[in-house]
Amino acid sequence: MAEPTSEPIIQLRDTTKIYYKGGEEILTLDHVSLDIMEGDFVALMGPSGSGKTTLLNLIGGLDSPTGGQLVVCGQDLGELSPRELAQWRANHVSFIFQSFNLLPVLTAFQNVELPLTLLPLSRAERRQHVETALKIVGLAERMHHRPDELSGGQEQRVAIARALACDPKLLLADEPTGDLDAHSAQEVMNLLTSLNQEHGKTIIVVTHDPKVAGCARRQLHLEKGVLALDKRSTDRHPVAGPRA
Amino acid sequence: MRLLFLALLRKPLRTFLTIFSIAVALFLYCFLESVLDAFSVGVNMANASRLVVQHKESLAFQIPISYRSSIEQCEGVNAVVPMVWFGGLYTPKDQTGETREEFFAQFACELDEYMSIVPEVVIRDPEQKKALLADQAGCVVGDKTAERLGIKVGDRVVLRSQIWSQPGSKPWEFNVRAIYTSDNQAFDRTMMLFHYKYFDEKREFGKGMIGIFVLGMKDPSRFHEIATAIDRRFENSPFETRTVTEKAFNMQFVAMMGNLQLLLRSIGSAIVLTMLLVAANTMMMSARDQTREMGILKSIGFTDGFVFRLLIGEALVIAGMGFLIGAGTAFAAFNLAEINPKPDFFPIFRMPPESLLGAAGIALVTGVLSGLVPAFVGMRMKATEALRSV
Ligand SMILES: Nc1ncnc2c1ncn2[C@@H]1O[C@H](COP(=O)(O)OP(=O)(O)OP(=O)(O)O)[C@@H](O)[C@H]1O
Ligand SMILES: [Mg+2]
Repeated sequence: MAEPTSEPIIQLRDTTKIYYKGGEEILTLDHVSLDIMEGDFVALMGPSGSGKTTLLNLIGGLDSPTGGQLVVCGQDLGELSPRELAQWRANHVSFIFQSFNLLPVLTAFQNVELPLTLLPLSRAERRQHVETALKIVGLAERMHHRPDELSGGQEQRVAIARALACDPKLLLADEPTGDLDAHSAQEVMNLLTSLNQEHGKTIIVVTHDPKVAGCARRQLHLEKGVLALDKRSTDRHPVAGPRA
Repeated sequence: MRLLFLALLRKPLRTFLTIFSIAVALFLYCFLESVLDAFSVGVNMANASRLVVQHKESLAFQIPISYRSSIEQCEGVNAVVPMVWFGGLYTPKDQTGETREEFFAQFACELDEYMSIVPEVVIRDPEQKKALLADQAGCVVGDKTAERLGIKVGDRVVLRSQIWSQPGSKPWEFNVRAIYTSDNQAFDRTMMLFHYKYFDEKREFGKGMIGIFVLGMKDPSRFHEIATAIDRRFENSPFETRTVTEKAFNMQFVAMMGNLQLLLRSIGSAIVLTMLLVAANTMMMSARDQTREMGILKSIGFTDGFVFRLLIGEALVIAGMGFLIGAGTAFAAFNLAEINPKPDFFPIFRMPPESLLGAAGIALVTGVLSGLVPAFVGMRMKATEALRSV
């Protein structure tokens, strides 16, 4: 069982994000400083509008901070051009979204293959990666189905497979269980937990669900753009099978 | 790039309709160009080494055949062929016993001489040519008209002329002795030609009067000099003449169509423009629906440039397919299958090759314009915002 190492994979120093909307400033993240260790499993909680998604997008290089420093996987994201940032994303992080965000025209296989086309891999290597990823999420036999032929839980597992395919160190999930029933949600959380424990992925999950947060080792609470609570759970919920 | 094709298949019906409307627009464009080109076909078929002598005032007036010898004496003139416009209707009976009225151009002329200065007329079978020259009531028919009306060598063709009559209103009868064709694609292969002598003997009135003289020149570059000399010779005579190049002569007919051409062109352009705008609008709308997907691609690590190329590429592929289908159909129909929508009106109906280029240009502009806006928006849009908009 992999424990978090002492290497921080994410370092935020006074990271600030301000949105400008109609001449008005919206201070979404207010001087957040935070270290997240490699191999950790973090739940990010807080009321709606507190800046969770914003923080996640910053860490994943989808957006850039207004102020402060942001180092992820040893790279200061502020130093990268948009093009380099895209490349960096392709190599280091993967997103999992609430609404799955699979491309509807592609089959499960093709969806998972998509990020791999950005890497210098042969066809055969790509195929192997895709099959491995789909096997991990338990959907190998569904690989030629299109998203509309899958259930929500299965779609989200395909999305996770896509996130896994290029073997990133960091998985960022924004309310991955938000659109799922309790049973599918549990499956997804079991999957994330095993990815963390067996494959050593660093995972950040944004969630409103305390049960989901309970799977994580560390819980962060955001309130109006400020870190309000940073709790390490000692009494971790055992990873249970689907609840009856 | 496989993504591009999959994106097109996402809404197959819409993609198909867009391609179809571009195809229709471009087909219309090609058709219109062909029509406009068909109007000026006479100009294209004109031979620079020939002149035409007509009445100074109007083609409707005749000139005497006796002028021929003095024209022949003009320096630089090779041969002089008198021609008369016959204006006949062909009224065959079909199986049901009903008669149809078919029109094509007919001329009375001196066949031997005509063929010597108009080498474009080719009778492949020398026996046919011999038979044609031997039979005073013989005629030669262009292969296109022969094919259209089912006329064969040996047939007897009865024509009713709207201009010329025989005593006792006897119908005009001719023996088809030969079929001509041409190696020059621009040459009219729908005419019927018969002996002037036979015609002049039989006609009830106007004997000795002809419509035009066609002249061959020894040195075509001297046409101006020759034409002036001829016209000067008949100045102040009862029938003053006007001598012009064959091209200028044929241009008169095009000029008569000038207004019609303008009308056709403006209506056609309006239709084409409308259809292209509709297509462009659809393409832009479909790109708007794709914002979210563009966001997904960006979050996975695809660059802004890739998204830009994807959207532009999609528009270009749609426009390109529209071009292939629309212009391709037009080319296949008019130039390969030689379909002529109105063979009695247009002796030659072909799509000018330049209009393929024109259609390609229109397709390209449509593709680029309709792709550019969404491509820019897609490129500039931040992934976070793209994903936010559900
Ligand atoms: N692109 C943007 N432009 C302007 N304001 C934005 C933008 N994105 C987020 N915001 C604002 O920033 C604040 C935080 O948004 P964020 O999406 O991070 O919240 P959240 O914690 O994820 O909320 P939720 O739980 O509802 O998903 C909100 O007030 C939001 O209106
Ligand atoms: Mg959110």
